[in-house]
Amino acid sequence: MSNDIFASIKEGDEYVFTKNDFNRTDFVRYAGGGGDFNPIHHDQTFAEEAGLPTVFGMGMLTAGLLSRVPAEWFGPTSVKSFGVRFKTRLWPGDDVEFKGVVKKVYEEDGVTHADLDLTAVTGKGEMLIQGFSTVRPWSA
Amino acid sequence: MADINPPGMPIERGKIHEFANSIGCDEPLYHDAEAAREAGLPGVVAPLTYTAATAFFQSSDAPHLSKKLGLDMRFVLHGGQEFFYERPVFAGETLTAEQGEIIESTKEGKRGGTMKIYDSFTNFKNQDGELVLRVKNTLIQTGGVVKE
Repeated sequence: MSNDIFASIKEGDEYVFTKNDFNRTDFVRYAGGGGDFNPIHHDQTFAEEAGLPTVFGMGMLTAGLLSRVPAEWFGPTSVKSFGVRFKTRLWPGDDVEFKGVVKKVYEEDGVTHADLDLTAVTGKGEMLIQGFSTVRPWSA
Repeated sequence: MADINPPGMPIERGKIHEFANSIGCDEPLYHDAEAAREAGLPGVVAPLTYTAATAFFQSSDAPHLSKKLGLDMRFVLHGGQEFFYERPVFAGETLTAEQGEIIESTKEGKRGGTMKIYDSFTNFKNQDGELVLRVKNTLIQTGGVVKE
């Protein structure tokens, strides 16, 4: 987690990680961690009554994983903004690739900033989330 | 579930540890108070989406948005969420959520009939009244089940 990365960052740079085979326990662990107990994410009977084949993952679970892209890449204190739009649902068994690409590098008040495009795409090629982030060095 | 929660959201290392694990974060600054101190930080860092943890939202200063709006939870989709940070959130502080504007609009959905879209804005301030971050949350009430 070094600010040195801001000295070498350039447009087009990428950071990628994948998580394979999301399962219902991942959803339940996030329910506990994040406090989202909407039964649509853990209760098969409830999901079927709502006309769905099974439970699906919370948007904020995959958003949380996507937020690791700017945080791991530039350091957890370097993120100025992070936002997501949810495009489709995460189902049990999905593999997901989380990716960030540097869109723009610029100076603001003498401080290097970078704007990132973020995506989470399933193994079936479906766009799960589109997101953005702006990063810059920060110190306490 | 007991429906009591006084105002304010204490940011705690143990809860941050649990939340960070639930999204697979192994960065020591989320887990290890000693590592945070060595990095010159006042406490472990909360992951970026930590303030979306709805368990904390349901304090009396910020009841759960879908409950407040009276939405049918079977047909609510989370459209998106945006975070704008003045600085990181640290264990040891107490945040209070101030509900800002809620903007309502409608859209004809391709798959779920007419959708109502709610954009809700929240400011999070600490115990000294310092603005720490702003959050925009988008909820979508669909007309019925959304077909894949």
